[in-house]
Amino acid sequence: MLQSYVPIVLLLIFVVANAVLILVASGLLSSYRPTAVKLAAYESGMPVIGDARERFSVKFYLVAMLFIIFDIETIYMIPWAVAFQQMRSMGGVLFLEMLTFVLILAVGYIYIWKRGALQWD
Amino acid sequence: MGLIVPAGSGDHADPTYESVSPNWVTTRLDFLANWSRANSLWSMPFGTACCAIEFMATAASRYDISRFGMERMSFSPRQADLLICAGRLPFKLAPVIRRIWDQMPQPKWSISMGACASSGGIFDTYSMVQGIDTIIPVDVYVPGCPPRPEGLLYAIMLLQKKIRGESLADPTLRVEHMVGPDGLFRRPEEIDEVSEPFGNSVHQTRSA
Amino acid sequence: MTAPVGLPDDAAASVAAVRERFPSGVVRSHVVNHQTVLQVTPGEAHAILAFLQQQPAHRFDYLTDLTCVEYRDAERQFEVVYQLRSLARRVDLRVKIGLDSDGPLEVRTVTDLWMGAEWLEREAWDMFGVVFAGHGDLRRILMWETYSEGHPLRKSFPLRGHWSRAEQTRQALNANPEAHYSMEELSISEAYRELPKDMQERLAESGRGSLP
Repeated sequence: MLQSYVPIVLLLIFVVANAVLILVASGLLSSYRPTAVKLAAYESGMPVIGDARERFSVKFYLVAMLFIIFDIETIYMIPWAVAFQQMRSMGGVLFLEMLTFVLILAVGYIYIWKRGALQWD
Repeated sequence: MGLIVPAGSGDHADPTYESVSPNWVTTRLDFLANWSRANSLWSMPFGTACCAIEFMATAASRYDISRFGMERMSFSPRQADLLICAGRLPFKLAPVIRRIWDQMPQPKWSISMGACASSGGIFDTYSMVQGIDTIIPVDVYVPGCPPRPEGLLYAIMLLQKKIRGESLADPTLRVEHMVGPDGLFRRPEEIDEVSEPFGNSVHQTRSA
Repeated sequence: MTAPVGLPDDAAASVAAVRERFPSGVVRSHVVNHQTVLQVTPGEAHAILAFLQQQPAHRFDYLTDLTCVEYRDAERQFEVVYQLRSLARRVDLRVKIGLDSDGPLEVRTVTDLWMGAEWLEREAWDMFGVVFAGHGDLRRILMWETYSEGHPLRKSFPLRGHWSRAEQTRQALNANPEAHYSMEELSISEAYRELPKDMQERLAESGRGSLP
């Protein structure tokens, strides 16, 4: 039973050893000669003006957050579906439970829709 | 060689190898490092003019520098180990190529492709750099206006031969040759000497 | 190939109109290789160019080129050359202003007539040292901003420059290419205030260009 895991463990050891070997070898064999110009940012050979810290639109954050919420809702449905299949006798109750869950989140969905969080501009 | 090397620029070998005398292990290590470096040169094509077209032709299917492991060009100096200056270089572009050379990490080599990059070419004027070796160190010069793709391939092969002859313990390699405190990369007498007109240019009367 | 009805389709008509309107401003006119050349005095040049551009009968609305020539000729030393084209009439005309090489090389700018003259005049300043009065942003365009060796296309400027190659290399390596950026080269959001009104309104309406 445990024997089927041996290849995976071997692969894991090999991968880790390989990565360590590459990093150590390049660290030993490389030459590190930092200079002020070399460490500066690359701007096609010109001296650097400004920094790259531009302001972002906050809508990216909002979209990401909403995605997480509804994605987790979808994830919850998957084990529910497995349980539903195994407990067919209680089908009605299970269905109503999931419906309640979805309806609670649907209230939230209507709220953000009406608030305009789904409009990009 | 007359290159200005300011003090403390690190002209010593990697500490790992300073005290080890050359033996079979170090030579095999050198062979491994040189073989991998020579056969996977990632070039930064600093193409400014006509030679860049010939470089593109060399990279294309008929002449194919992919045979030499160079099909992956890097347009950022950060990931490049070979700077190919293909084309004439105006003085206005001189600080740009200098900065790009400085921003390439070691190990790095450079090829001066064509007559203009090697010596100023036909442009012996107020606005053209008379050879990029007045600004950056050059390993291989390729003559031609423009050089044939075979010429550029020969230069790459020469560079590979040079790389194979290197050693990890060599203190004179992998040194950052910076621009000196007087603002020049080479001594002024040297720049003037290599920029002297030659051939038919000496007969020009309208010159300084 | 003929011009629209009612407009003259050759440059001779325009030259004749200029001669009639500005009798003292025209030095001479001639035709060489089927190209009409009109030489004018520096004082009346701007008025003549404005006349040629704005009069509906002439309408030279496109400035093809603006350059200078320096001759090795005591009588005809230096010229500022305007190559005009009338797009509707399909007519070309060359207008020249004769100047003395040893006198002040200064003419009035034509950027108020043709906006494209902005860079063309910068090039003429860079290469020849001609000052365009009223230009507003007369700085070097081909050589770098702090280039101080001279004006390269003058006859007094040797082909290889005045200074030694070492000095030229040193000047080049120490020139900061970015010392004098203009507004639009920096960033569009900072240049918002300089944009024309209709463009500002359009950007404000679409919501792009402003932060949420």
